[in-house]
Amino acid sequence: MSKTTRVLTVDDSASMRALLNHALSNNGFDVSQADDGVSALEWLALNEVDVVITDINMPRLDGFGLIEQVRGGTRHRDRPILVLTTESSDEKKARARAAGATGWIVKPFDTDKLVAAVRRVAH
Amino acid sequence: MSPEEIQQIFFAECEESLAAAEAGLAACKAGTHDSDTVNAVFRGVHSIKGGAGAFGFGALQAYTHTFETLLSDVREGLVPIDPKLVDLLLRALDTLADHVEAAREGGDAPADAALIVEMEGAMAANGAGAAHVAAAEPDPEPEPASTSSSGTDDDFGIDLDSLLDDLTGGFDVSASATVAGGAVEPASWHVQVRPRAGAMRNGSEPLLMLREVASLGGRVAACDVSQVPPLDSLDIAEGYLAWTFAMPAEVSEDAVRDIFDFIGDDCAVTFGDDGAEGAVASTELDPTTDPAEVGTAAAEAADGTPAEAGGASVADSVASQPAPVSPPVQTQVASAVPPPAVEPAATAAAPPATAPAGGAAPVSGAGQSIRIDLFKLDRLIDLVGELVIAQAMLVQRLEGVTINASEELSLLESLTRDIQESAMSIRAQPIGSVFSRVPRILRDLAASTGKHVKLDVFGETTELDKTVIERLGEPLTHLIRNAVDHGIETAEARIAAGKSPEGTLTLSAEHRAGRILISIADDGAGINRERVLAKAIEKGIVSADAQLSAEEIDNLIFAPGFSTAQVVSNISGRGVGMDVVRQNVKDLGGRITIESNPGKGTAFILTLPLTLAISDGMIVNVCDQTLVVPLAHVVESLRPSPDDVQGLGSSQAMLNVRGRFIPVISLREALGAQMGSEDRLAGHPEQGVLIVVDTESAGQAALLVDDIQDQRQFVIKSLATNFRPVEGVAGATILGDGRVALIVDVDGLVACALPAQDRAGHERQVA
Repeated sequence: MSKTTRVLTVDDSASMRALLNHALSNNGFDVSQADDGVSALEWLALNEVDVVITDINMPRLDGFGLIEQVRGGTRHRDRPILVLTTESSDEKKARARAAGATGWIVKPFDTDKLVAAVRRVAH
Repeated sequence: MSPEEIQQIFFAECEESLAAAEAGLAACKAGTHDSDTVNAVFRGVHSIKGGAGAFGFGALQAYTHTFETLLSDVREGLVPIDPKLVDLLLRALDTLADHVEAAREGGDAPADAALIVEMEGAMAANGAGAAHVAAAEPDPEPEPASTSSSGTDDDFGIDLDSLLDDLTGGFDVSASATVAGGAVEPASWHVQVRPRAGAMRNGSEPLLMLREVASLGGRVAACDVSQVPPLDSLDIAEGYLAWTFAMPAEVSEDAVRDIFDFIGDDCAVTFGDDGAEGAVASTELDPTTDPAEVGTAAAEAADGTPAEAGGASVADSVASQPAPVSPPVQTQVASAVPPPAVEPAATAAAPPATAPAGGAAPVSGAGQSIRIDLFKLDRLIDLVGELVIAQAMLVQRLEGVTINASEELSLLESLTRDIQESAMSIRAQPIGSVFSRVPRILRDLAASTGKHVKLDVFGETTELDKTVIERLGEPLTHLIRNAVDHGIETAEARIAAGKSPEGTLTLSAEHRAGRILISIADDGAGINRERVLAKAIEKGIVSADAQLSAEEIDNLIFAPGFSTAQVVSNISGRGVGMDVVRQNVKDLGGRITIESNPGKGTAFILTLPLTLAISDGMIVNVCDQTLVVPLAHVVESLRPSPDDVQGLGSSQAMLNVRGRFIPVISLREALGAQMGSEDRLAGHPEQGVLIVVDTESAGQAALLVDDIQDQRQFVIKSLATNFRPVEGVAGATILGDGRVALIVDVDGLVACALPAQDRAGHERQVA
């Protein structure tokens, strides 16, 4: 991919955002951050993005709510959205998929897997 | 940002999470909780767990997992919230705080086995435990499939070209088209991939996955185009194609399966070992054109233009294929589908993202917070301080000039003041973050002393400077320990005294006259003055015949090395005395006072400045020098009548303030008599101005100055950093006219100007 892949990370935990930012920036991604679903929507209203990575449990608007809003809109509805989850059970995956997530990243993630997951969905 | 720095963020976050959980559990205890409250507690613990995993704190992660699971049950309503549960959760939270502490300090993790059993018991007792026994298990093995072997050496991209040729060449929809061009080499196994209608949902792009298979060394052995309908009935959201890849022997099935992990059931992935044809044949039975599925896809695509629909990816993937595409198809695709938004050309025209490459732009909504480097903030506040000075200089410079700019000047002044207040408010934090630690302290104390204490908190939203808040924790903790240990009586003693067996500790904070007042009040026995005095005499802190007021006796507990507990307990008596508490408060530019009522209780009142950077001061003249007396110390200023000042011996003088005598200290003498050749005030203090100041160590004193010039804010510049420490001088500041003025260290100056004897004795002068 010739252009830089732009990633929006959405997590209410500053350390998790910092970890994602650290891992992704070091691998050549252009990272922006939002601290919950509402902030993410505000950012998305003004910016373009290639991949969204979102935590699920957040104040104001959670990850599933964010996905619903993005998929229900027009501008970013085809954007790949990866959810951060602490569990990798089939039930959780099915729920994420049903909610409109493109894929998931299991926390704690290792950088290689994170980068592979983002590359896998970035189009 | 280094991993260490990120880890620091994590620990700061842990503190916030613990405080949020504490607040939530307090609400549960008080019965004022709702679903949000429980969710906030859950989120706090969940967030710590996430970070613990990321940073490799295994013990912390394991512990939070159990805790979180129980909270999840509570959140789901599987476990009812009752006092017993809240008690368990509070204890679990305390242990969590210990775990965090251990992770941060690198110490041993606390013993949590019993608590984990108890938490699991709380889940199991309500029938919710069994479901969690296997929680956090690894990915289950995917269902097995058949395996096969055979293959081609064709390149993936070229195969797609061939596929397109086939598509344009007659739509042979009745049979699968084998596009292998070269000799078929024996490969270890085959995999057939058939994206279904849903495969393009959710922003998924099957093409990327096919490319990934190719990047593993997969070669397209066959492409099944049998499902492709005539172009006019082609639904771009539908999946019509299936590819069979020949995979090298060294690639595992799991590696391929992993690629399609995200897309799950929306893509049939079949593994076979009986040759490409066989594999294709077997999956041709796969009902990919199931009417229900098509219906779903159509419904999904119905509310958008084709380009916006998830299924646009089919055309997109074809169009974005780098290899040459035959003209007829290109025309068809182009006419059927407007340029998809995901095309690089389209996105290049879109507004660029505001975030700089490699950096991160934090986004924040209203009422949310951002983290900024404290250094940057302090730099801003420093600059605002300079701005205040520059503004004052300008006013002073223009005072004599007759220009008609007073309106603009006052506007500038009010703007400067507003900017200053805004900048200061950035550093301000609610004191609740300190107060929220108190319940934990009380629980620990209850466990070790058996004294149960109820906590009342008022004004926890009162804001004060971040640095002040950070440095307030220690003295506050000590005062609370002291209150429970020494102030509040045992339950038996309380009952005997006609009080409720449970003591009450009241914490309050409020703004008052530009300062913050924090009160820590208990309803205990009050200070036992007889015992305090006896102890002080025994320790040689005061002489045996000293006549002290009740207030002075109370203040003796701040004397270094003082301890009244008959048995030095391990709670308050940690080698830190009340003198250290007072020093801590003093270092913050604050004061601490005691109000004690025998039998009714004791209140410690901390008076703190809103900020450490800027203070209010009284600008005074002494000879030809300009000095600043911090307003925090100033009680009043007065021009005395000759009768008010009475000589005491040859060099001392006392000021009569409404019947009370306080020592007079000439600033001129205290700071060195060489300041002016002639001391017009020598022997005539009534010709100057006396400023009555409060000090920590020596009670009140009156500072004699020539006159008072002004009262204004000043920015403190450290003399120690810029020059060297000077006794009696707290620092320096730049005045409106650009000159440097020294700030008087009132405490230090009075203490060294007054002989110790006078200090102990001057109250005896009370008329």
